[in-house]
Amino acid sequence: MHVLLCIVTGRYSSRLYIAYAPLVVLGTLLASLVPVVGFNAVLTSEHFGSFLVFIIIHVVALVYYIKGILSPKMFKVAVTLVVSIGLVVCCAVIAVLVALVASSPTKGWSGRSLSLLDPTYASKYIPIIASVSEHQPPTWPSYFMDINVLAFLVPAGIIACFSPLSDASSFVVLYIVTSVYFSGVMVRLMLVFAPAACIMSGIALSASFDVFTRSIKFQLPGVKGNSQVDAGETSSEGVVAQNEVAKTDKNEEALKERPSKKNRKKEKEHVEKPSVKAQMKKRLLVLPFEASIIAILLLILLGAFYVVHSVWAAAEAYSAPSIVLTSYSHDGLHVFDDFREAYSWLSHNTEVDDKVASWWDYGYQTTAMANRTVIVDNNTWNNTHIATVGTAMSSPEKAAWEIFDSLDVKYVLVVFGGLVGYPSDDINKFLWMVRIGGGVFPHIKEPDYLRDGQYRIDSQATPTMLNCLMYKLSYYRFVETDGKAFDRVRRTEIGKKHFKLTHFEEVFTTHHWMVRIYKLKPQKNRIRGKAKKSRSKASSTTSTKRSETQRKNPWH
Amino acid sequence: MEAQLSVRAILLLSLLPLLSLLARSSSSVSQDIQIVNAERRIDLTSHIVKVFLTLKVENIGSSPVSDIYLAFPPTQVDHLALVKAAATVGKRKKKSYLPLEVNPTELPDAPNGTKYFSISLVNPLSVGETLTIEVLYILTHSLEPFPVEISQSESQLVYYHDSAIILSPYDIKKQTTFLKTPSTKLESFTKVEPTNRAGTELKYGPYENQSPHSFSPIIVHFENNNPFAVVEELVREVEISHWGNLQITEHYKLMHAGARHKGVFSRVEYQSKPSFSGVSSFKNLLARLPPGVHSAYYRDEIGNISSSHLRTDPWKSELEIEPRYPLFGGWKSTFIIGYGLPLQDFLFESPDGRRYLNFSFGCPLVETVADKLTIKVVLPEGSKDPSAVVPFPVEQHLETKYSYLDIVGRTVVVLEKRNVVPEHNSPFQVYYTFNQVFMLAEPLMLASVFFFLFVTYVAYLHIDLSIRK
Repeated sequence: MHVLLCIVTGRYSSRLYIAYAPLVVLGTLLASLVPVVGFNAVLTSEHFGSFLVFIIIHVVALVYYIKGILSPKMFKVAVTLVVSIGLVVCCAVIAVLVALVASSPTKGWSGRSLSLLDPTYASKYIPIIASVSEHQPPTWPSYFMDINVLAFLVPAGIIACFSPLSDASSFVVLYIVTSVYFSGVMVRLMLVFAPAACIMSGIALSASFDVFTRSIKFQLPGVKGNSQVDAGETSSEGVVAQNEVAKTDKNEEALKERPSKKNRKKEKEHVEKPSVKAQMKKRLLVLPFEASIIAILLLILLGAFYVVHSVWAAAEAYSAPSIVLTSYSHDGLHVFDDFREAYSWLSHNTEVDDKVASWWDYGYQTTAMANRTVIVDNNTWNNTHIATVGTAMSSPEKAAWEIFDSLDVKYVLVVFGGLVGYPSDDINKFLWMVRIGGGVFPHIKEPDYLRDGQYRIDSQATPTMLNCLMYKLSYYRFVETDGKAFDRVRRTEIGKKHFKLTHFEEVFTTHHWMVRIYKLKPQKNRIRGKAKKSRSKASSTTSTKRSETQRKNPWH
Repeated sequence: MEAQLSVRAILLLSLLPLLSLLARSSSSVSQDIQIVNAERRIDLTSHIVKVFLTLKVENIGSSPVSDIYLAFPPTQVDHLALVKAAATVGKRKKKSYLPLEVNPTELPDAPNGTKYFSISLVNPLSVGETLTIEVLYILTHSLEPFPVEISQSESQLVYYHDSAIILSPYDIKKQTTFLKTPSTKLESFTKVEPTNRAGTELKYGPYENQSPHSFSPIIVHFENNNPFAVVEELVREVEISHWGNLQITEHYKLMHAGARHKGVFSRVEYQSKPSFSGVSSFKNLLARLPPGVHSAYYRDEIGNISSSHLRTDPWKSELEIEPRYPLFGGWKSTFIIGYGLPLQDFLFESPDGRRYLNFSFGCPLVETVADKLTIKVVLPEGSKDPSAVVPFPVEQHLETKYSYLDIVGRTVVVLEKRNVVPEHNSPFQVYYTFNQVFMLAEPLMLASVFFFLFVTYVAYLHIDLSIRK
């Protein structure tokens, strides 16, 4: 993108070519070495942009080269010739490409990338992508939490970049703009935004430090002469020696490049920047001496606080493992190690080839810690697969039992935070299961689970909600803990308190009830008389699936 | 299950007359000795069955006898963890015990697979003399849960099989057997008159003038809710470092060997009614560690287990551990305990210049049976002539282990024993010779590597490798 901009604005140089061409070639080669990427790097259309630019830059380089060796007249003739042939070839190539790309359903763009370009795309078409919390747009508090004072420094940095717009600074500006957009679409892409923000605030800081220190220098009587020499030297090193104005600009730029290299050094500053800007416009470096000193001290202080904040954020928000939870109470640290308790139970007390069904979030954990086969995990690409589990969770008990039985599942694992107030449990994720399940199996309809568009599990909840497997597995015998069945996450009493499970049995619940494991009850032995009855029932009622499994069984 | 039981009972019953016949017809060892009085106390309160046997032996033969034989039915021999015997010396207040050597032996005319242990007397018992011998033997896995599977709310009932009459190759003039059960809840017991029951005690006998190899099978069915904690496999690795540390790493495979848990595990019942629900389950264990333990850890394959407490004082250390989940019948768990100990408390120099490690054998968990115990003593690199001295028979072999910066490897003395009970927690010694110089090998090696690295660099700086001047 930056290269394109440079070419359009006529800033092409051989340096640009050298920087870009090998990067694309090497980058693509290296990317295709990553097993997951493979040939996707050249096959999917997300990457066409860079290849297009790659072609363009070659054409442009060729044009410049020919321009150099031919006389202007000859050059004009050559241009008309080449352009006419080139256009025909290009058209043909583009037509082929378009045809190829159009033949794939999503136009060669994966859903994830499409949701980047159109933030509403995922929630409209692919609930599974939208369900991942990392793919949600970030909230403002999370921005402030993550970048803190950088939020003020970044605009200042952008302004500083524009004051003398060079190749390098325009690249940085483009970088920050695109990364801000992407991070606005997905929380996960905050990672892309972080280095850009660091560079920008580094620029802003160095610019402001520059201004302050210079104004101090100018006001110290004996040093004034020196600093003039200093400025002169800097400018003579630059390509163009101009007046005082150019000198300061050049100086600015030289300083700008440096912090961008050590971009990890996050630093500080805030409202000072507008005044800095005004100062630069005036091109007079006369801030009051005391004010500059105080400002520098403030900046250093701000930086120090930011370091403290970053360390805190890294320690508390990003390093805490999500499977071992801790809480501080009056009698000290309390550890909630329920996940590992459940996984360890699974690994020691179930058969090696038993399969465990759970929502896919716990797939990797179950595989790694419990060493059991799971139905869906965090890398399940098959949407139908996930939708099947979602459907089972949102179906009534019997239908769910049939689905799980057809998947050869022995155990069902649900995460329940209602007793201790752990908010990211399965009940809170349940709407996504309904949506994803409903996306593939239309008999699961989201409105059935919502009362007047609201998701609730109290006495106002819909009967579909109160009878679905997830509700039942989560709240089975929950009322016996406190007599009221008060859910601490949803802050309400649950709707249906006393019920029995007919097709599942509780085999393990962890100490704080965070993980509950149920076993599928074996199919009941059919006694003669009963078998007749059930068969007549099966034929009379609508449970076609049941009769299907009955028919299937003799062939095992 | 039941079929098996009845088969066994029939077998044993049919043996009775046969045994006695056999014994009478050919008894080369028996007739010299008779047991004047025998008293047996069987402690059934935990899942480890302890039997205290007091025998008053008299030589009625014509020549001194130096060996006394104990007989065990084959079903018990398999579960026999330990047999200890001591002779009582002195009378009343001056009574003291003199430990005697006990060895398994074969007798030529052993009826129907009966196994024998011989007690070697220090001084042969001369004609007409009497001697009192105290025998302790311990049986593991001898309480058979019945019903085999119980649900969470039931308590655990077990069977104990034995004989009302002490199996012995000698005539026993008078004998009594006492059984002590953990609670007064006794489902049933076989009556062999006279049989008395009082509280938690069941008394069989006295029976008089029983001939050799008499047998009268009994079954006691009673409640036992003690934790049936069995370590299926325990590997203890003791690593000696002459820099002053003894590092112990213990790998446990724990199992609840009681009646299998069946059906539902309901946390709500387990938490709200602890006295009804899961009475036979256990959720914590106590490990008695040597004093001076430092840097103890308790973890499993997926990381630290936060539920443990270490209490130390100058005389003992106690580590209370909770597995990740309470263990019900048939449930398993694995974990690792590790700790360091100061070397000077365990490593000594013997008068002949060799060094020896004095450490306790056995499983540090209280009231636990270890089905298979492996102790690996990792000697420091360069030690020679290892030999182990263990107070009871164990399997031994040597291994080599490579650790960081090892060249020849460390000698590992491996001791293996099956069926280990807490009574095996007696000290054992591993002797070896070690030259202190070897301690410096690794630091010297590291230092020399760095030295040569720098020397090479210095040399490189001083050599001009360019072709053109």
